[in-house]
Amino acid sequence: MANVTFPFPFPDHLIVLLPEMIVAVLAMALLLVDLFISRENKVWTAYLAIISIVIAAFATLQLSSGETVHAFYGFFVFDPFSAYCKLLIYVATAVAMVISIDYMKDEENIGEYYVLMLFAMLGMMLMVSATNFIIMYLGMELMALSVYVLVAYQREVLRANEAALKYFILGSLSSAMLLYGITFLYGVTGSFDFVEVGNALAASDSNARSAVLLGLVFLLAGLGFKISLAPFHMWTPDAYEGAPTPITAFMSVAPKVAGFAIIIRVMVDALPAVQVEYTAILTGMAILTMAVGNLAAIAQRNIKRMLAYSTVGHVGFVILGVIAGNADGYAGILVYLSIYLVMTMGVFAIIIMMRREGIQGELLDDFAGLSKVRPGYALAMAIFMFSLGGIPFLAGFWAKYAVFIAAVEAGHLYLVLYALLFSAVGAFYYIRVVKYIYFDPERVAFNLVESRAMQTTVVVMALAVVALGIYPDPLMDLCKQALAGLV
Amino acid sequence: MVGLSEYLIVGAALFSLGVIGLFLNRKNVITILMCIELMLLAVNINLVAFSHFLNDLSGQIFVFFVLTVAACEVAVGLAILVSFYRMRGSIEVEDINTLQG
Repeated sequence: MANVTFPFPFPDHLIVLLPEMIVAVLAMALLLVDLFISRENKVWTAYLAIISIVIAAFATLQLSSGETVHAFYGFFVFDPFSAYCKLLIYVATAVAMVISIDYMKDEENIGEYYVLMLFAMLGMMLMVSATNFIIMYLGMELMALSVYVLVAYQREVLRANEAALKYFILGSLSSAMLLYGITFLYGVTGSFDFVEVGNALAASDSNARSAVLLGLVFLLAGLGFKISLAPFHMWTPDAYEGAPTPITAFMSVAPKVAGFAIIIRVMVDALPAVQVEYTAILTGMAILTMAVGNLAAIAQRNIKRMLAYSTVGHVGFVILGVIAGNADGYAGILVYLSIYLVMTMGVFAIIIMMRREGIQGELLDDFAGLSKVRPGYALAMAIFMFSLGGIPFLAGFWAKYAVFIAAVEAGHLYLVLYALLFSAVGAFYYIRVVKYIYFDPERVAFNLVESRAMQTTVVVMALAVVALGIYPDPLMDLCKQALAGLV
Repeated sequence: MVGLSEYLIVGAALFSLGVIGLFLNRKNVITILMCIELMLLAVNINLVAFSHFLNDLSGQIFVFFVLTVAACEVAVGLAILVSFYRMRGSIEVEDINTLQG
């Protein structure tokens, strides 16, 4: 046995896959361990899942040295960019788990819930580290399949099933379109590797132009779906409303981080040769997305549905960073996503606490008069809403600032003015929530079920929004450093 | 002699049939699942054709991944569908209408 020789050089640098290996192994182990945890102690499954994430985060921090390391013959890359995105995904998943504990405690078979979240996270981790369309597709499907099931987790709730069914159908359609686009890029370039595709596209002659454009359009449609860019956003409101609220929080942050990460990587590595074309397509989609998201949100009475459209609107702003196409734009995307994570998790934590005595607590009316009963939560909610609306000197303002400035630098002044207009429209429906909380009389009694975990989440997120609003420089510098190996 | 473009035309026809079936179908969710499968098979035809004419194996390897993932996808989809059927008592496309706005 000592003389085993591999017929090929054994892949080195495998150590950079350590976080993925940890999550995969611990998730599968947790699936078994969960069988031995009694019903009363199911909360331990959540704790163990969170501990798994902390271990993976620790491994990622240990591995990050500021250098770019390729593994698996260039199928996988570990660089500061992927490390930063992975950390965002860890935080999003862990916070979503913390706010799940109370919400899901009455469900049966709760063990798989946390395991599925770990698998979805694993898919996202593979996505942000992919340098090859095959790995990108596999990561994306691992994420998508896990999230479909999570949306349908409350099996006895009709709207959850319906949301999952719609999400599944449109999601499968989008991955088929994504694959169809990839086949044309493969046909022209003869490779699935991002960098090789990029080199081959730069060298390809004009005969292949139409095939490349066909591939590009389908690829953008598939990727646009994952981050809910209009006109591929139709699943977003239904899936957000039907899903368990912690999963809504999870879905509105983590897959968006992974989706934007893979879009940035594909644009930078594989498609620089067609930058003019993809910028034009994305500009059109951004214009539509900002309008649809912000206008449709005004008409909503259900706050989860409103936040779904608000997510669509925010994605329209974030995509400006890709349209800008410079290092500042990509750094702006990371800043935006980091700040969006903080705001969104806080808002959803409060929404979860509003569930009381047989009502879901998801209607805007259910928030009426909150300030008289619970001034602390009312203040936190007001902070989050003002921040989401981009009111100056809260974190959300700097998120928009980072992306908009980059787009102006790249010469997209009119697009930024348009974005500012819809940012103002967006502020309207956010401030309307504040009006419900502070100026309307109480309509439904507030017998809130509070736990230490939820309160801590809200307080930490609110403090983070205020702190980042006053002093955003460290975050901005961190995001700029994360792009070191990429651009 | 059958060339690359013939394969691509078959692939495009299958893919279009899948998309059209997905959007025109007003009857049954199972048909939608079949249409999605058709689209993925069109992708596979494209990949195999390109792989053959480029003399490059990676396309055919991707086909195996796509087939496997497609199987998983249908499994998850049917599971969600069964769960939906238990609640709603129907799998008509028109009955998927609780969430609107």
